Amino acid sequence: MPGKIRKTPLIEAGRDYLALGLEGSANKFGAGIMKHPKDGAATVLSNIRHTYITPPGEGFQPRDTALHHREWALKIINDCLAKAGVSMHEIDCICFTKGPGMGAPLQSVVLVARTLSLLFNKPLVGVNHCVGHIEMGREITGAQNPVVLYVSGGNTQVIAYSRQCYRIFGETLDIAVGNCLDRFARIINLSNDPSPGYNIEQEAKKGKRLLSLPYATKGMDVSLSGILSAVEAYTLDKRFHVQEGAEDKDLITPQDLCFSLQETVFAMLVEITERAMAHIGSKEVLIVGGVGSNERLQQMMGIMAQERQGQVFATDERFCIDNGIMIAQAGLLSYRMGYETPLAKSTCTQRFRTDEVHVTWRA
Amino acid sequence: MSENWHSVTLKIPFASEKHALIAKRTIEVDPELQPHAVKRIITVEENILIAAFSTLTIRLARLVANAFLENVDLVVRTLEQFGEEAENPPSS
Repeated sequence: MPGKIRKTPLIEAGRDYLALGLEGSANKFGAGIMKHPKDGAATVLSNIRHTYITPPGEGFQPRDTALHHREWALKIINDCLAKAGVSMHEIDCICFTKGPGMGAPLQSVVLVARTLSLLFNKPLVGVNHCVGHIEMGREITGAQNPVVLYVSGGNTQVIAYSRQCYRIFGETLDIAVGNCLDRFARIINLSNDPSPGYNIEQEAKKGKRLLSLPYATKGMDVSLSGILSAVEAYTLDKRFHVQEGAEDKDLITPQDLCFSLQETVFAMLVEITERAMAHIGSKEVLIVGGVGSNERLQQMMGIMAQERQGQVFATDERFCIDNGIMIAQAGLLSYRMGYETPLAKSTCTQRFRTDEVHVTWRA
Repeated sequence: MSENWHSVTLKIPFASEKHALIAKRTIEVDPELQPHAVKRIITVEENILIAAFSTLTIRLARLVANAFLENVDLVVRTLEQFGEEAENPPSS
């Protein structure tokens, strides 16, 4: 049975709170300003992001990504403040992604955060990237106590909340599902604009054949690197042709592979999510992370949830894909519970488990 | 042992001592990635930020100096963008 409704430890705001959130753990730099008014629901005042898009066939490397963030950070923060109509003096705390993510890009963002913190004498709040996704998903969708499927280029986890901790029920044993999709997109030279995952989704809609790929759920977990090797092997198959040929020929097109890959990995994700739901008796699924914006995944999850008389919650690309507002939201919640990151402890870390965070703002 | 090490000292003037201290406090938080091969001392004298590096190899001397200057550049640009506004808080 899901936990009984406990009173939230988060005390009434008492006054308006404003938080600036800065995110840059992968190839997107985002800044957002969140307001928790003294009465009323949290409001997004602004949420601006810029993505570092590499040429087709190329992934993003830490150094170039860090350079991108350094180039865009100040402009985006400025635009963010202007759009919200707020000055740095009015901000209560500066929230930044402490981890997990890529080292150099994370560090680039935190340098800006520290400088602003010292200039304007505002406290810093280090935020776990995954918790940011979860808190924004909860805020936007209003889901009460869902099983969370967090799927992105860097992370693939099934999470459920219990006793002030986001517990990881299942996860990938090797690479993230977004990483698997992105790397396949590079193999078939799809454009990275707006994102490789989006383009795979569009190509998959044109696929006609479901090819056999290894289905690798391991209990509550999944393994994806073998599937990537298998789908790559198809591109070396003599039946693989980029151009569409006659209908009756035994051909494999990139569209068929996109379709087969999506169907296989998404089915696996739906299975491990269902296992977690069965385990804790939850009827809600919340999908967060960049891959969560994939409509086929949402549809497949919806079918499973409906069969269990449950429902799926998902957000749109503004909040699914890495953004600054989710960092502001998670940061402000912990700030209101008295959490701050002292300057000397404001380092970043590439590995930061979701369950390491003490979720003080929930009962 | 340290006599055979390479040393690089960088001195960067800032608009004020306050800004130089902000740069020092911002940059010194992150430890060097190779503490056994790189020794770093960051100080401030009036409005000048001074970073003294001692490294085991020439290659490391180039890398740490370059990384430090890139970090200083980011801090400087941030101070440039927001410095004036910070000096002028709105009257409550």
